[in-house]
Amino acid sequence: MNILALDTSSKACSCALWREGALAGEYFLNAGLTHSQTILPMVDSLLATMGVEAGEVDLFAVSTGPGSFTGLRIGIAAVKGMAMALNRPCVPVSTLWALALNMQQFRGYVAPVMDARRGQVYTALFRGDGAALRREWADAAVSMAELGAEIKKLTQPVILVGDGAQLCLDTLGGELPELLLAPQTLRHQRAASVALAAQLAGDAARCTAGELAPVYLRLSQAERERNQKRSDHK
Amino acid sequence: MERYATNSEQETEAAAAELAKRLRPGDVIAFRGELGAGKTAFTRGLARGLGIAQDVSSPTFALLNEYRGPVTLYHFDMYRIQDEDSLYSTGFFDYLDGDGILVVEWSENIPWALPEDVITVTLERTGENERAITVEGGARF
Repeated sequence: MNILALDTSSKACSCALWREGALAGEYFLNAGLTHSQTILPMVDSLLATMGVEAGEVDLFAVSTGPGSFTGLRIGIAAVKGMAMALNRPCVPVSTLWALALNMQQFRGYVAPVMDARRGQVYTALFRGDGAALRREWADAAVSMAELGAEIKKLTQPVILVGDGAQLCLDTLGGELPELLLAPQTLRHQRAASVALAAQLAGDAARCTAGELAPVYLRLSQAERERNQKRSDHK
Repeated sequence: MERYATNSEQETEAAAAELAKRLRPGDVIAFRGELGAGKTAFTRGLARGLGIAQDVSSPTFALLNEYRGPVTLYHFDMYRIQDEDSLYSTGFFDYLDGDGILVVEWSENIPWALPEDVITVTLERTGENERAITVEGGARF
């Protein structure tokens, strides 16, 4: 089975082809270029170089959020277009779950952290036994302070991945010396991990191109006002 | 802080065109000033100073106009933006990360979202065609 995966959820941009249960090809760019101009040429070039016809793709996978508003829409729109034209199923993948899969064999906790600006992060928590990861927290938008308070309660090593990982370490590392940082090459969203997530997901996670939708995961206004009040009191 | 006094729309445009030469990719310009203060005229001058040939118009209905040239100018209107979610869904944060120049009308609605080194341009009516222009921020002004 061929899975074509795309990730345009933040500044980096990548596409990958997963074939017969393993990564066969991946193109990755983190050059500050516009995803709407790069992702389709990248897909085109990846498939052409590998000698794979678009019609040979059996399943499409894409990061559906959280992430950049424009970025998510570009990746999802591209996949919708291809999957609809080829009449193939899609798998929506949580950006945070795909990030965590960069550290699939980690023994301990994996915390993907994406910068959501103004002291907020998108995060989740997974626990690894050295073979597989199991989800502990749902995807959420929380303040860095809240994340720190939750991490403090954990008793195993915690490794941070994602574009907010460094920021998180800089902010919380002082009071949480056990925090680890994923290697630089594994810290970004990777389409290969999105493809892996689709591979692990099974048939129940599939949807049609029409059903594919972004999950922006914004804080509700009420939560933001509560946070604002809290920080005002400090 | 810098102050200019202009006596016509043409002079306001010319002042903006001069200012444009000192801008850098990634700059964010926030306007303060009421309706008819000359924000669109000022933006037209900026575009001209940046070497952009496209016509500039008010982005009130589109929320965002994009003018391409040697550097891309993104012209936002935040008049109808009330909260973080509506701002997020304009793509504003994505443009902040880019290397264009952002010009923001009705920036009064999103003070919390403006970067620390924002350049604030205040336009005040001092007469029918006369304007007092104040430029501050961004370490250069």
